Amino acid sequence: TVYKRFSTVLRNQSRMAMRQTPLTCSGHTRPVVDLAFSGITPYGYFLISACKDGKPMLRQGDTGDWIGTFLGHKGAVWGATLNKEATKAATAAADFSAKVWDAVTGDEVLTLAHKHIVKCVNFTQDSNCLLTGGNDKVLRIYDLSKPEAEPQEISGHTSAIKKALWCNDDQQILSAAEDKTIRLWDRNTGEAVKTLSFEASVSSMEYIPDGEILVITYGRTIAFYKAHTLDPIKTIDAPASIHSASLHPDKDFFVAGGDDFKLYKYDYSTKEEMESYKGHFGPVHCVRFSPDGELYASGSEDGTLRLWQTAVGKTYGLWKCVLPGEFERRFA
Amino acid sequence: MKTPVSVLRLPRGPEPNSRGFDPNSPRYIALCPTTIPASQGNKADSVNLEEEQQLRSELRECFLRSLIAMTDKQVQFNLYEKVQVQAKFGASDIDVLNFQVSDLQTPLGVQKEALLRCQDMISYSFHL
Repeated sequence: TVYKRFSTVLRNQSRMAMRQTPLTCSGHTRPVVDLAFSGITPYGYFLISACKDGKPMLRQGDTGDWIGTFLGHKGAVWGATLNKEATKAATAAADFSAKVWDAVTGDEVLTLAHKHIVKCVNFTQDSNCLLTGGNDKVLRIYDLSKPEAEPQEISGHTSAIKKALWCNDDQQILSAAEDKTIRLWDRNTGEAVKTLSFEASVSSMEYIPDGEILVITYGRTIAFYKAHTLDPIKTIDAPASIHSASLHPDKDFFVAGGDDFKLYKYDYSTKEEMESYKGHFGPVHCVRFSPDGELYASGSEDGTLRLWQTAVGKTYGLWKCVLPGEFERRFA
Repeated sequence: MKTPVSVLRLPRGPEPNSRGFDPNSPRYIALCPTTIPASQGNKADSVNLEEEQQLRSELRECFLRSLIAMTDKQVQFNLYEKVQVQAKFGASDIDVLNFQVSDLQTPLGVQKEALLRCQDMISYSFHL
């Protein structure tokens, strides 16, 4: 109808004139080094943040409202993750342990002792297995239904493991380490299927199952690879050293953040920088899109998480679209 | 000059004295696996459920009364790393996260007032 078209045009015009208002989530007292979203559940989606203060927090994903703090680690928490249903959480810490938590009650369910600092954790799709990696250079797979059993170990990396992810329907594992390699492993044989070498240490890795895309960052580069084959898709160079990047679920844009404290938004097809946002008071360590793509969250050295709108000005979560008064009076 | 997007309110921050995970939230009520096996059954188990609830209430009351009985008494705490300390128990906080104690005897000397983290304790004992 003419009314609908007119209102869309006006809404888009007023949105183009709007300035992004990031939502700041406070509570942590030290740098936020990792964050992860759950899938979309009947209760919305959730966000977990890993912090050097040792107290990972669970928040409501679309508002940033604090839900609870997982208490128990005795050292900096380097990695945190949620399962799809947001019923379980896992954390990796400097106290040489990985912990599994009930994400509804906040109770600690399991402590998995390691021989060195644990840096990353990742659940399989069915939440039955947990992958861990850390400074002892070994990947471990724990069967959560048999926690006392020895984990399956995968060795090969020659330096500390920074990030490890399940991929290809949990049949393969992707790991990034300080040895400047990314390795693709077969979960059953424990053998390395492929190895990628870089000039610099990989700072972050994100796996997009839908489309099998791997997003990695190193130096000032954001690189996209095919997850199965580790064949390169494209690379983009940012104005500053990038610590983390995330691809939008619709694969039309990606966001990145790093040393210059800013968040950058790029068009994935054209590789053009669309926007950059200031807000954090320290380097950005991690950034992730929400599962519905409506917002992205960033964690920083400044101890805060910030939520940013994908479509600036849209009514969503705590953001409210306010149309020009005249239009509202006449047509609302 | 662009107008900043309006915001209904700021995200809520952590509560100072609680670890959160509100047991009254819809998600908690719906998903929290009750520790009462009987409540997962059918109507025939409702009798068992009531009995179990009763026993649990009694245990909880017992625990709370034990905390009251402990007030101002000398308590021996067994902590991790084979550490044992003794102190005069003052009070617990509402979530039983911390115990307020006085004259805490430690290998480094006596601490007049201290907070002991409950997560650090394995067990504690005192004479009634």
